[in-house]
Amino acid sequence: MAETETRARTGTTTTRTAVRLEAVTKDFGTVRAVDAVDLTVREGEFFSLLGPSGSGKTTLLRLVAGFEQPTAGRIELAGDDVTATPPNRRDAHTVFQDYALFPHMSVEQNVAYALTVRGVRKAERLARAREALTTVRLDGFADRRPAELSGGQRQRVALARALVDRPAVLLLDEPLGALDLALRQEMQTELKELQRTTGITFLLVTHDQDEALTMSDRIAVVRDGRVEQTGPPVEVYERPATAFVAGFVGTTNLLRGEAAVRVVGRPGTFSIRPERILLTDPAEPPAEPPAEPPAEPLPGGRRAVTGRITDIVHAGAHTRFTIALPHGDRLTVLRQNLDGLPQSARLDGEIGLSWDEKDAFPVPS
Amino acid sequence: MPAAPTSGSRLRLTALLAPPLLWLTLAYLGSLAILLLSAFWATDSFTSDVVHTWNTDNFHELLTTPVYRTIALRTLSIAVAVTVIDALLALPMAFCMARVAGRRWRRPLLVAVLTPLWAGYLVKAYAWRVMLGEDGVVGAALGPFGLHGPGYGTTAVVIVLAYLWLPYMILPVYAALERLPERLLEASADLGAGAWRTLRSVVLPAVRPAVLAGSVFTFSLSLGDYLTVQIVGGKTQLLGNVIASQVTLDLPMAAALSAVPVVLIVCYLAAVRRAGALDSL
Amino acid sequence: MRKRKTSAWRSAAAVCALLLAAAGCGSGGGDDKGGHAPDKLGKGEGKVNIIAWAGYAEDGSNDPKVDWVHPFEKKTGCQVNTKTAGTSDEMVSLMKTGQYDTVSASGDATLRLIASGDAAPVNTKLVPNYKDIFPALKNQPFNSKDGRMYGIPHGRGANLLMYRTDKVKPAPDSWRAVFDDSARYGGHVTAYDSPIYIADAALYLMRAKPSLGIKNPYALDQKQLDAAVSLLEKQHKAVGEYWSDYQKEITAFKGGDSVIGTTWQVIANLTKAEKAPVKAVLPKEGATGWSDTWMVSSKAEHPNCAYKWLDWIVSPKANAQVAEYFGEAPSNRKACAETSDPNHCAIFHADDEKYFQRVHFWTTPIKECLDGRKDATCTDYAQWTRAWTEVKG
Repeated sequence: MAETETRARTGTTTTRTAVRLEAVTKDFGTVRAVDAVDLTVREGEFFSLLGPSGSGKTTLLRLVAGFEQPTAGRIELAGDDVTATPPNRRDAHTVFQDYALFPHMSVEQNVAYALTVRGVRKAERLARAREALTTVRLDGFADRRPAELSGGQRQRVALARALVDRPAVLLLDEPLGALDLALRQEMQTELKELQRTTGITFLLVTHDQDEALTMSDRIAVVRDGRVEQTGPPVEVYERPATAFVAGFVGTTNLLRGEAAVRVVGRPGTFSIRPERILLTDPAEPPAEPPAEPPAEPLPGGRRAVTGRITDIVHAGAHTRFTIALPHGDRLTVLRQNLDGLPQSARLDGEIGLSWDEKDAFPVPS
Repeated sequence: MPAAPTSGSRLRLTALLAPPLLWLTLAYLGSLAILLLSAFWATDSFTSDVVHTWNTDNFHELLTTPVYRTIALRTLSIAVAVTVIDALLALPMAFCMARVAGRRWRRPLLVAVLTPLWAGYLVKAYAWRVMLGEDGVVGAALGPFGLHGPGYGTTAVVIVLAYLWLPYMILPVYAALERLPERLLEASADLGAGAWRTLRSVVLPAVRPAVLAGSVFTFSLSLGDYLTVQIVGGKTQLLGNVIASQVTLDLPMAAALSAVPVVLIVCYLAAVRRAGALDSL
Repeated sequence: MRKRKTSAWRSAAAVCALLLAAAGCGSGGGDDKGGHAPDKLGKGEGKVNIIAWAGYAEDGSNDPKVDWVHPFEKKTGCQVNTKTAGTSDEMVSLMKTGQYDTVSASGDATLRLIASGDAAPVNTKLVPNYKDIFPALKNQPFNSKDGRMYGIPHGRGANLLMYRTDKVKPAPDSWRAVFDDSARYGGHVTAYDSPIYIADAALYLMRAKPSLGIKNPYALDQKQLDAAVSLLEKQHKAVGEYWSDYQKEITAFKGGDSVIGTTWQVIANLTKAEKAPVKAVLPKEGATGWSDTWMVSSKAEHPNCAYKWLDWIVSPKANAQVAEYFGEAPSNRKACAETSDPNHCAIFHADDEKYFQRVHFWTTPIKECLDGRKDATCTDYAQWTRAWTEVKG
């Protein structure tokens, strides 16, 4: 359903796959880094592998690049089996986390490398390298050495180098990890823009859920060498397939066992996103949420409980409350700093909480 | 007395540095200066006594006698050949040690490369004399293929010198290769380069300063050697031999002759410096 | 920047001044060359430093039966330190260091050491065995000056032609084998690595090319030297290696890398002892050779022990041992009675002056021709040295 939101690509290529992994397994000695992963990345898609460090996401990327050989399984690029193909004969380029620019070459020589290797004539080579540098807004840096550039500039050179001969797939290994926050956010936008304009399939590895949610058309959440869930950002966020996904992608209130029965009213494991919980004064009856347009009354009932505020963290655009319920269960609530708070919203104050019943959705445990 | 420790430590520093500095200027540079100075003196041709009359005859003879030019050129070519051979041998060996061999094997391999340095120079040279001799193992090994050993001569000198100085080339190259990030090799392959292309475009440029640094050793050591030549060189005559035989007969001429390798090495160092390899020494 | 440069220049200038001063000091003095012979001897100093040819100061380390150093030490209390030299040039330069007390100098070194003042005159009265030395060896031009002896004659002999009996057939009897016929043993000919070896070529030319008019192989005018040099250059093509280190020659003959070339009797003996099939002969042309003299350094730190050594090495027993081991004629006539082979003196022509006229003892070539020619200028040792470098190329 959410997949229909995927940006329609020009022409008829939408349905073709760029990368396909079939039951790919990779062992390092006795350690299984990737465990029977199936994955399909469509052509022209911005696809992210999201997971904590050590989850095997980088190994997956290196398998696609060809730096590692799978222990079992099959890897396809654009429909061709490349399982045994060396990296230099795969139509995919990598942007490394530490950029891996050739230190003895100028920026231009770095960018032109893929063309040089293929024996492209010098004039054309230089023209295309300049063009790639323009794309990443680095005109005028052609003759510098990588050592003379800032981190962000090196990042762009690495991008230009990987894009210069228009590979079918661009593999990005935590490309923004070494940048500071402001630069990272700027680059996120730029990367997305670049992907849109070039139409190249991007396969990004990241541990940063913001990054993945912001840029991707689809996300695969990876854990312990397995894919836990694949889907568009909204779906992964709103409908996490597992408790792990729910916890890793965004923050959530996970309720299981007794707590689920007490708070949600049903047995099972449930996730309630903190921004879905409304705060009210305990005396007032649970009311319709003021943020929702009144013209569309929500279907279904609401649930309400009362608790005591044990912590308040003011975090710029929103405030995070930690609330202890009578039986000791704790809920986290996020509230946009839009208007006045309920009077009781102070430390140790009694406060009422309410949420739409469908916002407490069950997750497989 | 807050100033006392400072002046005291400065004094100590001076006292600490004075002996080596004195040694450097007097014993090291001083002897070199005297050597060059004595090249401008003469020799009594009968008694071999040095006569302190200022003249440039030695250099005139050095520059006008064809045989000296021949010997200088031969010495230079041997030094170049040894350097090239060592570079060609050291690159794959160092590559195997730093990149192919498992981490566990690196140290033993390094020790294996270094061990020959602990054996005496003469012992090794004489061992080669035995091996390269008429009834030596080299000849015996080549015999079944209808080939002859090189015997004593220029080839033997190149072989033995290349053997003797190889560790001096392997070590810096190994260090450079070990420092070379794996990512760069992957990046090269990722961008479409085969193994040879990667070797040429990424590995070699990265180890070039190390090779040049190693070549400073192999080149200057070969240029100055005369014992190996005496032992396995047969009738080959290098600058070192001429200097050694002139030292007993005509010290000023020997001094003038030894200016030749000094000049060659200074030129070589200047060339290497231009290439920026001295930074990694 | 500027200041640093100035101070650097200043220190450089200071170093130069220092060096010049040191050099000046070195060249001063030395008018009174040679020092004086002592009138009487004192007690031994407990040690003596010797420069010797291989085989001249054996202490049993090469062959336990060959040892005349330990008896000397036991008798005199003088500890012997031996430095073996391979060439006369090496001996001359070692003597110049002033660290040695005595040297077994050949005729091409003696005069140079006398002229440079490195050797002191010897008071022969302090060497009791001197009286038994063959008269023909006393007061010779190569060991005396103005009637004063500058050393004690040690012995004499000829440079021989050694060959591998299994590889060189028929047995050679002429130096032709290493000169005009050297190509037959291409790559396996050896020759002595010293400019003095030019005399061997000259000696061969005396017979092979009488038209050159060589009378004395150490008196060569430019034309004669050129002829010798071109003969040696021809030989060079066939030479496998030159030798001056006797150990090197032994291994070369043993391994077969050298099969024919010039040698000393002692080397031939040692090579035979290594079970190599070699033989050494005196070719029909005669040979170059040596007449050695034990000289005392003018800077000797242990002159008393040096004199004791001089007397010891020419004493009948020791002189006989050295002569037999090295393969030469002894200088002491009484030594002939002490040799293990009673015919040794006869075989080596110890008292046969006719024979030694065919042997041309090493001597240093000088500008005044040694053969008495007045109408020609001869080539001196410096020119021979240069020529030798060119021969080896």
